Amino acid sequence: MARRKGLVINDRQLDRCDDLLQKLKEVSGSSFLALISTSGQPITTASDTYHPETLSLASLAASSFAATQQLARILDENEFTLLFHEGSALNLHVSQVNEQVLLIVTFGRETQVGKVRLYTQRAIEVLRQIFDGPDDGTTPTMDADFESSAGTAIDDLFKDV
Amino acid sequence: MPLINFAAREINYKIVYYGCGLCGKTTNLQYIHRKINPDARGKLVSIATEEERTLYFDFLPLTLGTVKGMQTRFHLYTVPGQSYYNASRKLVLQGVDGVIFVADSQITRLDENVESYLNLWDNLLSQGDDLTKLGFVIQMNKRDLGDVFSVEDLNELLNHTGSPVTESSAVIGEGVFETLKVVCKQVIAKTG
Repeated sequence: MARRKGLVINDRQLDRCDDLLQKLKEVSGSSFLALISTSGQPITTASDTYHPETLSLASLAASSFAATQQLARILDENEFTLLFHEGSALNLHVSQVNEQVLLIVTFGRETQVGKVRLYTQRAIEVLRQIFDGPDDGTTPTMDADFESSAGTAIDDLFKDV
Repeated sequence: MPLINFAAREINYKIVYYGCGLCGKTTNLQYIHRKINPDARGKLVSIATEEERTLYFDFLPLTLGTVKGMQTRFHLYTVPGQSYYNASRKLVLQGVDGVIFVADSQITRLDENVESYLNLWDNLLSQGDDLTKLGFVIQMNKRDLGDVFSVEDLNELLNHTGSPVTESSAVIGEGVFETLKVVCKQVIAKTG
C-alpha cells in the first residue's frame, strides 16, 4: 500500500464543500452533516440546530468505518461502502468519498433512509471531483516560522503541568 | 501526514501511544487528561472491556491554540496492547504522524516489549509508512518499580534507530509531559 498522502484543503475546496453540504442537508432532510478524514479528523460540518461534539464523533466514526472495511475483507467482500446505525430518534449514515475522506449524515424519523442514500450518493460524486480534481494552484503554503512558533506554544502549554 | 485545512485555518496531527499490554499507554493519556488545562483538551474517549483493558483505542484531543494563524491540534490515541488485537492496532495507526513507544522497563516484560516493537515496524511497513520519517520517541516507563532494566540496556535492546528516549513513571505522572513534548515538536518538524 502506498504511503497515505497528507490531506490539504484550500479555500475554494472548502467553499464548494460547504455549499454542497448545505444543499444536501436541505434536499435530504438531514439534521447534521460532516466531512471527516479517514484518519478521524473533522474537515467541515453543516447544521442548523444540532451540534454534536465533532472531535469525538469524527474519531469514532472513522474508526468504525475502518473496522467495517476490515470486516468486509474477512468476509471476502470487496468493500462495504457505507455504515448505517438506526436509533430510536436519530440515524447515522457514514459513507466513503475517496481514500482520505468520509461523509457523515445524521437524520431523524421524519426522513426516509432511501432519500438520504440517493442524495448522498449524488453528493459524493461531486465531492470526489472537489477532492480528486487537479490542483488549481491556489493552495497556500505553511508560514516559514510555524515550526519555531509552535515549539514556543508547546513549551507554554506544558510548562505548568 | 497531518490534515491541513487552510480554509478553516486548522492543522491536526495524529499521535499514537504504542506498546505491549499493561505497559502504561492508557495511564499516560489519563494523566494528561487530569492535569492539563481543561480549556486545552476535549473529551477522553475510551473503548475498553469490562475490566478496563483497551479494546479498540482511547482518544484525547489537545488544542495547542492558534499558531501563525492556524488552530493547531494534536489527536492522541492509544492502541490495545495484547498481541491478538493486531487488526485494531493497524486501524488506529492509519494516518499517524508520530508514535510514542511505551516500554515496560521490568526485566520480566522484555519479550513482550520486543514483540510489540517488531509488530509496530511490521504494521507501519504494511501501510507504507517509514518510522524514521515520523515523530518517534521511546518512553521507558515504570522506572519507579524494582527489578527493571537500566536505561542503557533497554536502549540497546529496543532503540536501533537512535531515537529520543525518555524515562517515566506514568502512574504518578513523571515523564508523561516531557515525552509528549518531544514527540509534538518532532511531528511538526518532520511533517512541515
